[in-house]
Amino acid sequence: MANLFTILSLAIVIVSLAIVMMLKIDKIKKLQTMVDKLRKSLEEMDEQAKLIVRTDIELNKTQEELDKKITGLYALQRLSRIISTTLEENQIFKVIESASFEDLGFEKAFTLLWDAQENKFIPQLSMGYLGDEIEAIKPQVNLDRDIYLDLIKTGKTFSSISVPPNTALREKINHIFEVNSFVISPILPKEGNKGFLFAGTENMDVTITKGDEELMTILSNQIGQAIENARLFEKTWRTQQELEKKVEERTRELTLAFEEVKKISKRKTDFISSVSHELRTPLTSIKGYAAILIEEKLGHLPVAAKERLEKINRHTDELVHMVNDLLDIARIESGRALMKMEKQDLKTIISNTADLISIQCKNKNIELITDIQKDIPLVLADRTQLERVFINLLDNAVKFTPENGKITIKAHTEDNVIQVDISDTGIGIPPDSLSMLFEEFYRVDNPINQQVKGTGLGLSLIKHIIEAYKGKIWAESQEGKGSTFSFTLPIKG
Amino acid sequence: MVFLTGFIARLAKGFMNPARIFGAGVEIERKGEVNIGIGLSTEKDPILAAREAIRLADINIHSKKIDLAIVFSSMDLACVSLLKTIHLSLKGRVPIVGCSSAAIISNQGVFKHGLAVMLLSLSKNVYFNIACVRDIKEKTALSAGRELGEKLLYGFRDIRRDLSVIFSDGLMDEGSNLIYGLQERLGKSFPLVGASASDNMRFLRTYLYFNQEVLTDSAVGILWGGKLNFGLGIKHGWKPLGKPRTITKSEGNIIYEIDGEPAVKIYEEYLARDLAGLQKEIRRISILYPIGMYLAGEQEYLLRNILSIENNGSLRLQGNVIQGSIIRLMIGTKESCLNATRQALDEAKKILFAPIVDITKNEVKNFVFVFDSVSRYMLLRREANQELEIIKEGFGKDTPIIGLYTYGEQAPLKAISYHGQAYFHNQTIAMLNIGG
Repeated sequence: MANLFTILSLAIVIVSLAIVMMLKIDKIKKLQTMVDKLRKSLEEMDEQAKLIVRTDIELNKTQEELDKKITGLYALQRLSRIISTTLEENQIFKVIESASFEDLGFEKAFTLLWDAQENKFIPQLSMGYLGDEIEAIKPQVNLDRDIYLDLIKTGKTFSSISVPPNTALREKINHIFEVNSFVISPILPKEGNKGFLFAGTENMDVTITKGDEELMTILSNQIGQAIENARLFEKTWRTQQELEKKVEERTRELTLAFEEVKKISKRKTDFISSVSHELRTPLTSIKGYAAILIEEKLGHLPVAAKERLEKINRHTDELVHMVNDLLDIARIESGRALMKMEKQDLKTIISNTADLISIQCKNKNIELITDIQKDIPLVLADRTQLERVFINLLDNAVKFTPENGKITIKAHTEDNVIQVDISDTGIGIPPDSLSMLFEEFYRVDNPINQQVKGTGLGLSLIKHIIEAYKGKIWAESQEGKGSTFSFTLPIKG
Repeated sequence: MVFLTGFIARLAKGFMNPARIFGAGVEIERKGEVNIGIGLSTEKDPILAAREAIRLADINIHSKKIDLAIVFSSMDLACVSLLKTIHLSLKGRVPIVGCSSAAIISNQGVFKHGLAVMLLSLSKNVYFNIACVRDIKEKTALSAGRELGEKLLYGFRDIRRDLSVIFSDGLMDEGSNLIYGLQERLGKSFPLVGASASDNMRFLRTYLYFNQEVLTDSAVGILWGGKLNFGLGIKHGWKPLGKPRTITKSEGNIIYEIDGEPAVKIYEEYLARDLAGLQKEIRRISILYPIGMYLAGEQEYLLRNILSIENNGSLRLQGNVIQGSIIRLMIGTKESCLNATRQALDEAKKILFAPIVDITKNEVKNFVFVFDSVSRYMLLRREANQELEIIKEGFGKDTPIIGLYTYGEQAPLKAISYHGQAYFHNQTIAMLNIGG
């Protein structure tokens, strides 16, 4: 019984243990599934983490590129602004800041321009290199000049992208410029020396992108443009300087020539003056003896001889007249003329001189009109000289005005001067003669002048007189219609 | 050494002339313990840059008596003539420490090319000592750390020590061991903040400045004592990603195996790249995706950049790792980076003891050192200035800021189990807020 009870209870225990075991196993199984689930999700999470990291790394890379580009663009803009406002070629490379270049991603930069005369590349700018490094680069670049000259010829930028690693060229450039990556871009101003811009970095982590190439190309274009502008400016500036220099030289030459002319003119005046004096004495004798002969004080003369003597007398008078005119001109020119300065009334002078020619006018039936401003002021002048001006001009007018013509004398004030115009309805003066009219011994070539004798000194003399009074004299004319001679005299006090 | 004797002599005299300021014709003793003036120059010529920065710093410190100069410069200015000019401009009597950097951080902005000089004028309550250790490779980082610690302690026997600031060669293999050596001498939980010098992201050479010398393979340090108030915040902002893994075989700064497989597999798997490709790019990749090591008792993952990958697939790191630790691959974003800046800033502000008020201006006088990882500079790029804006806003616009980008930072993680043991870090921003 007891045994049976024991067995029974054992069985119960076993059964319940079995049940508990079964339950436990079930729980373990459940836990196991849970653990499996968790592990799985952890693995999944880890996979997700991997995805996140990979995405993130891409994102960072993009961001880095973007940042680099933005910084580079800012730097480029800054550089462009400075470069484009620089007008001296050698200043262009000095204004480029190393900080801006670093923002472009390069700590080393070098610029060389080809000097066709010296047949070599000359450095213009260097950044990130020491003095002896620069000296070392120069000959090496010139040794391989063909590479760079070719670059200038093709005008294409090349960089670590276009030159594959482990090639001789890449190694060479890396070695010469002591960099790991680089961009070389040609500088191509339209005229003059061309060259190239080298930019590089030692940084192993940097890879050159297409964007870097583009930025450097833009920069080197900017530099090229700036050099071009600077050269143009320099050229213009130099031309202007040369022009100014030339003007200066010419002015000096002219001044010298003018001085020379003045000297010659003075010598001429002196010469004329002395010759005239010397001429006057024998002329006086000739005239004296001629007079004695004409008056037959030395005996009767045949009519023919008398006629000839009359001619001698007349020609001598003409000569004396001419010599006097010349002497007057010389005197006025040299400032030795004696001028009796008095206040003169133009009305009186004009009416006096008009009277003198009135007979001639009547003979040719020429109408003489005077038109004088009523309140014309008095002028300070030598009476004889002033009369001479009027006589001369009126004489000419009568001489060249045909019958039934008209002569007008006008006088009026105009801006501090008195202007006198003497107009005729004569044959006029050809335009090319107008400018030479007042020159000594000049005579207009026309039929009247061929008939009537004259010295060619009259107009020259009155020009000298008017100019001695600080006035001006000029002539206007229309051929066949008439001429107007005008002169001014300053109004004083 | 010359300076050290000078320092002890001053200690004996007990600072006869405490810093004073003049207000309304009445001489008032200044309550601040540290007065500073920062000068910045972006001149390209080292001599001109030194002169300008010193002149500006001197104006900012109101020509007070200067006790110490801290100098950070970009690589292009890192040369002996820079240090000589600074030395001469300061009349040859002021100790100088500093280092080179990828960029200079200052109130005026982040400068890729530049020089920042901070001149300090200290009250009689603040003591300091500077020291330098050379030839670290030859001596091993551990014993170099010990040597630096001993030199710094010289003359500090009876004075309360507050803080040590260290600048070290940024390309040193065993950054962690230098810290261990220092801690052996200064104490395990002694507050230590440091920056590893950087270069212009080429990882070729970094420079340390010590008086008139420009050094490599060296470390320089300042030990502060007496009554210096400071707060410190350090954060990286990188987040763990993927499943946790275990370092199964490592030694010092080399990880051989992770989960029983060659360590490089973690990068091969996540980035889907082969060994050769990774070997070429690992430096940049690990800046974006460093390894995070979980430390028991610390709240943060300690980050490690990878210097190189060996052909057998082992990873050589910038700092040490512990065999058996759990590690994760870490990922950072600009946003998480800037969030870390905000957090570090709050920490640095919080720990500062009772701030001292400048009675003339009725405002808190303090200044901030920023040791910012170049990895963050690389990640933030154009937004680096945004980080600076956050810092400026956090500390107040007028608070002087001086800083540099580092190849490694040394500072305590925020500790729970014990007070602030310093670690070698990567990828962090460390802010040291010193109350004047």
